[in-house]
Amino acid sequence: MKSDNNMMSGLKNLSERREIWVALVIVILLTYLLISRGVPIIMTIFIDFAVFAIITMSLNVEVGYSGVPQFGRVAAVIAGAFAVGAIPGRLLAMYMGLPFGLDYASDAINFKIVPQINELLASSFLLSVGFILFSIIIAALSGAAIGWLISRPAIRLKEAYLGISLLAFGDFLMWVGHNWSGLVGGSVPIYVPDPFRFFGGNRFTVIVMVIFVIAVLIYFYLQKVVHSPFGRSMRMIRDNDVSAAAAGIDVVKVRTQSLVIGSALAAVAGGLYVIYTGTCTAFGFQKLTWTFWPWAFMMLGGIGSNVGVLLGVFLLTILRTMIVIYRSQWFGFLMAVGIDPLWLEFTLLGAVIIGVILFMPHGLVPERIEPMLPGKNVKKIIDRRQ
Amino acid sequence: MAPWMASGLIYSSSLALLAGSITIINITTRTFNFAVASMATFGFYIAFTCVELYGGYPYQYYPLVALFGSFLGLVCYFGLNRHLLRRKAADITLMMSTLGYDLLLLSFIQMYVDYLSFTYRLFPRRVTMNIYDFELFGVRAAAIILPIVALAFLVTLHIFLTRTKFGIAMRATIENPVLAGASGINSDRVYMVAWIIGGGMASLGGAFMAMAITGTPVMGMYTIPLMFAGAILGGLNSLYGGMIGGFLIGVTEYAGVFYLSQRFGPWVQGYRMAIPLMLMAVTLLFFPRGLAGIPLGKVWRGLTGKKRGASL
Repeated sequence: MKSDNNMMSGLKNLSERREIWVALVIVILLTYLLISRGVPIIMTIFIDFAVFAIITMSLNVEVGYSGVPQFGRVAAVIAGAFAVGAIPGRLLAMYMGLPFGLDYASDAINFKIVPQINELLASSFLLSVGFILFSIIIAALSGAAIGWLISRPAIRLKEAYLGISLLAFGDFLMWVGHNWSGLVGGSVPIYVPDPFRFFGGNRFTVIVMVIFVIAVLIYFYLQKVVHSPFGRSMRMIRDNDVSAAAAGIDVVKVRTQSLVIGSALAAVAGGLYVIYTGTCTAFGFQKLTWTFWPWAFMMLGGIGSNVGVLLGVFLLTILRTMIVIYRSQWFGFLMAVGIDPLWLEFTLLGAVIIGVILFMPHGLVPERIEPMLPGKNVKKIIDRRQ
Repeated sequence: MAPWMASGLIYSSSLALLAGSITIINITTRTFNFAVASMATFGFYIAFTCVELYGGYPYQYYPLVALFGSFLGLVCYFGLNRHLLRRKAADITLMMSTLGYDLLLLSFIQMYVDYLSFTYRLFPRRVTMNIYDFELFGVRAAAIILPIVALAFLVTLHIFLTRTKFGIAMRATIENPVLAGASGINSDRVYMVAWIIGGGMASLGGAFMAMAITGTPVMGMYTIPLMFAGAILGGLNSLYGGMIGGFLIGVTEYAGVFYLSQRFGPWVQGYRMAIPLMLMAVTLLFFPRGLAGIPLGKVWRGLTGKKRGASL
């Protein structure tokens, strides 16, 4: 690609402008919703945004930065959700002397145990915080394990083959959870202990804030990762793995690491989502919601650009919510013939994917072409040479 | 014939058509067609609607189903795929574009299903199509008719690809698009015909599949890993390989579940999808290019002990 100075600064200006425009649209939509509908709807948007932002950013690490066609994002999310659904509650049940084995997940017992655990959690702030931290850690660990597992074929198979294998793997994990009732209840949802019970009436607000803060932290962490030498080697492998290997980069290692990082983050999102909803069921984790939606968010925002991904998630989450809110006002003609306007969410997603691919291949905020070193360092080196 | 064999045969023929559809679109346009899932579901709903509203057997509406599938394929080609091919888009972009199309179709299916249940008071959300079937020689007719239809499709395609001028042009384009273009073959038309055939096969496959399993709006979405597994098992570069691969995937699933659940108990039922996927993984381990990559000639010579060129 041609990269003389003029063109690069022009591109940079353009992309900066676009970010501002998109952010402006988001703010206007949010204000409008805030005025017309009040705070709760904003909270719902924020929590959807935070959960999907984490997942989409983690997808962006794998797809946008290291070039793995991750069509099995749901696998890592499931790993985190199942870990949080199955393990911390069992530990507390064991501590309280309640049944904690396979019976913990059985539908006749689970709904009696979990309220007792909730009472314990509600009585102690420290225990609640510990529960949250432990859940995040255990989710991240199981996600990392899944990431390592899928990195084994990922270093051998080619693009489309790999994408299909990952897709099948995600489905397979869902079916395991659906059939193995000892894990998270199989076809019957199990309850997940609620560490936010401590906050009483403010529970929802606190959850939104906690998940939002975690999403922001992950954003800053990923910005660091992307701009580190590791991030540069990821992008180098994505662009040309042969030349990256020739430059001395361990392709297998970097790919494995990026998959492990991405999967661990997605698993954290899965775990947090399970804590937020308070229940965990395998059928809640369909590839449609947890793989294809993040793909649409990422493609709208711009593959390989973290800011873009955040804006993409925000914009689509708002539009989704607006379909839900205004379904009877805007889509009454559909309801008149018995059609549920909620299906328009899929129409929206499909149209977004197709529109982005046809008319805006780099998304709302394209990835910036950045030199390997900051400009002033390059200048310094050139000065020294002369 | 035991009931599981009958539905296994129906299911396998449907997967053969679906995997064949994926393969033919992939070898011509490099596109991994995700939309095959919703095309299949749409095909099933066309058959369902016609049977419910106009009576008769599902089989008599199959030409209509195939036509509708071809129409869906054409829309995808002219609306989406053609522009991307001209732009020389990456394989992943092509795949994602069909995913977008699939989501659009899925939403249309869901709306159509809502419309059917509201306007005609049907119950299209869970459909067992085999209640419209009849008996033939003591078994379900579908178990006899559908494999024959699938086989006829294969034979027709073979004749089309080897005996007609356009079929040969098509194979030339698959072999080497640039050279074929240089010798005056219109590759646009070849791609278009591939989408027409592929779309028709996909919808027909979906209509077949509903004879074996419960038809729902997400039927295609659930079975798409198996369709791809069939295509990959066939090696993705040969149409016959794809159809045989799909058939094998179906047979493995039904036979595997039957024998394993007799051996280990009924819990195996829940993991039925894992069995064909494992077959795919194992095959890829030994033959990275799928079934089409197995050097049959070499194996045969090895068995008969003849050296190459010895029998002149």
